[in-house]
Amino acid sequence: MLEAIPAALALLLTPQGIATLVLGTALGIVLGAMPGIGSTVAVALVLPFTLTMEQAPAIILLLAIYAGSVYGGSISAILINTPGTPAGAATVLDGTPMARAGRAGEALGWATIASVIGGLSSAVLLLMAAPQLAAFALRFGPIETFALICLGLTCIVTVSKGSVIKGLVAGALGIFLSSVGGDPITGEVRFTFDQYQLIAGFNLLAVVIGIFAFSEILIRIADGADGGGNKVEFDGLVLPKFAAWKGRLAGLVKSTLIGCGVGVLPGTGSATAAFISYAEAKRSSPRGESFGKGEPDGIIAAESANNAVTGGALVPTLALGIPGDVITAVMLATFTLHGITPGVRLMEDNPTLMAAIFLGFFLINLLLLPLGMVVSKISAPILRIREPLMLGAIGVLCVLGVYYVRGNPFDLLVMFGAGVAGFFLRRADYPMAPLIIGMVLGPAFELSLRQGLILTDGSILAFVSGHPISAVLLALTALVLLWPVARRILLK
Amino acid sequence: MNAFMRTLAFGLTAAIAGPALAEFPEKPVTLIAPFNAGGGTDLLLRGFQEPFAAALGGNAVVTNMAGGSGTVAASHLAGLKPDGYTLGYLSITVSTIQPQIKNVPYDKESWTPICSVAASPTLFYVRSDSEYNSLEDVKGAAEANPNALIFGSSGPGAITHLTMVAAMNGLGIMDNVKHLPHKGSGPAMKSMAGGIIQFFGDTEVMMSRYDLKPLAVFADQRLPSLPDVPTATEAGIKAPLNELYLWGGLFAPAGLDDAVTAKLAAACDEAVKSDAFQEFAGKTGTVINYRGPEDFDAFFRQQWDANKTLIEAAGL
Repeated sequence: MLEAIPAALALLLTPQGIATLVLGTALGIVLGAMPGIGSTVAVALVLPFTLTMEQAPAIILLLAIYAGSVYGGSISAILINTPGTPAGAATVLDGTPMARAGRAGEALGWATIASVIGGLSSAVLLLMAAPQLAAFALRFGPIETFALICLGLTCIVTVSKGSVIKGLVAGALGIFLSSVGGDPITGEVRFTFDQYQLIAGFNLLAVVIGIFAFSEILIRIADGADGGGNKVEFDGLVLPKFAAWKGRLAGLVKSTLIGCGVGVLPGTGSATAAFISYAEAKRSSPRGESFGKGEPDGIIAAESANNAVTGGALVPTLALGIPGDVITAVMLATFTLHGITPGVRLMEDNPTLMAAIFLGFFLINLLLLPLGMVVSKISAPILRIREPLMLGAIGVLCVLGVYYVRGNPFDLLVMFGAGVAGFFLRRADYPMAPLIIGMVLGPAFELSLRQGLILTDGSILAFVSGHPISAVLLALTALVLLWPVARRILLK
Repeated sequence: MNAFMRTLAFGLTAAIAGPALAEFPEKPVTLIAPFNAGGGTDLLLRGFQEPFAAALGGNAVVTNMAGGSGTVAASHLAGLKPDGYTLGYLSITVSTIQPQIKNVPYDKESWTPICSVAASPTLFYVRSDSEYNSLEDVKGAAEANPNALIFGSSGPGAITHLTMVAAMNGLGIMDNVKHLPHKGSGPAMKSMAGGIIQFFGDTEVMMSRYDLKPLAVFADQRLPSLPDVPTATEAGIKAPLNELYLWGGLFAPAGLDDAVTAKLAAACDEAVKSDAFQEFAGKTGTVINYRGPEDFDAFFRQQWDANKTLIEAAGL
């Protein structure tokens, strides 16, 4: 890998290569920042253009859109309280309160630096240790995945603002929604009430957009009567001062590692990483009490983790030919059109191209900082548009984005339904993040549990006895859940 | 009917049908890919779109409607008016397997088959460093260690699942092995590399991507590219379990006008033969297999019934 770097540089540092890097990253940020247009939609939008491009630029463009849009999602999450992607939902938790307190520029500054560091670290990790990490990922079977997801589900407790009971209700609702559609083991369909559109289940993006963006529109409209609404003051991104990082670096490193780790293990993705990292930061940060009220540590945790996933997800994709998420799956498919065979021999057979991908990915993450500043500066006036117009525009973007993902008009109904449900649930103080966690982790939770039970012939005990990694993760899960109780008893 | 009347009737029919046919297509033809953008079917349709549009003398656009293993798009298509402007690319599983195992609003009678485009035989795979070198070895091991060996699939009812069901039933060891479904072929290949599953069935394309060793091919004769790999028949698997192809083609809703069908099929034939599509097929390992409307209709119906055996054997 390392020895192919000079040739890879020659491939990248051409006028076309540089233009692809810069324009692709900028476009990714803009698309990601539009509520409703998440990473998946952004990648699908540019896909047809890549078909006529050459190998390296085509793949670099997809990477730029991928990394750019994951970061771009934080802009809308912070400024207008509507995450463009499920991964941005964790950024909303502290980003929005901070923006409403008049510190939007600062919040975006923290998010940008955290994203850049998360992305860069994952790029370095990818360059140095992709084969070793991929080998480790292979030891992660269904049983280990199940244990990891159990740990992930404990985040529901942490991100439940106010009432844990309401958080658990929301989480259970999310898991239930994820069970609609085809049974992953038998193929039978569940809870469809003879509506064929439901065979595919509820689309996660439609629900996320409905619950966050669409219900936000409804809430603003309902509040409009009493002249309320929280206008966000924003005039470009403000980078955090060096001294302000004091005491936050350990959290940054930990969140980045969590992001890389979750990315390397296929089957979960950036939303999971963001929430696990957020929950861990809330537990361990000295400022844990102020999480949810506009604490920079919360933004750092969510953003560094979800950007670190992008590099992590490339590890199994490039080293094993096994996609880490939907977007890397699309990338693998486009390899074939450019005459490259994705698979275990991808790195061996195409060393220059792979080195170009790693380097390109590194440069893309560096570019996030200047381009993020430019894009947020340019977009600042948009926030001063009158609220009715703004809400209308957000509504239109949401409809377009949700429709585009699967081309199914039914998903729009789901989005509207989720929006109305979200409106009432939020009014009743039900936290919405647990619902998203439930929906994100639900399918993998069920699949890995049932796969595991097939492997162990129905013995749940064997999940612990024969599988050390799983035993450790399950013990951690128990510890996280019991710790508050234990602490209370010990303190008495 | 005398000669005069016949001529008159013909003339009238021609007068009515003539302009309609001459004008088709008046607007772009939509090709629905029942899977996500960037997937195998989507890419195939995008490679097919341009030569098809050129041959048709009109426009063609590809849209994606993903979900439910392709059944959401097929259900949607089956409910449309048969005007020839919306076609779907449906595979063996979407058109003959899923409707027999799921409650969906389409069946054998819902379609006007236009043309088949591709058909790739499936193979029985083990890991390249596996101790098994023949299906006989597999049978022996499964009989010696019941319930210890596991075959994987990309999902229940998928072609990968059916290949294994055909093999294990054909060898008489279905009750001795376990089935571990995955969500897609990628995760299944991870289980294969990690040693969780021992057997997997898929088309030849998989071999170039992962470290796999083929033990048998479910085709009527050996593959020219793999002359040493026996056919399933040679390995002792009897009909109807000995042949299995991942095929797909264009379908319109039932009741499409014959003249429009013929025109679409002719364009399909030309598109499949085009240099552009041949080159695409070469790159992606697609095995081209064109059948016209009548052949394809007969083939589709024969497959619908033949695959019942597999569905029952799979316990779906």
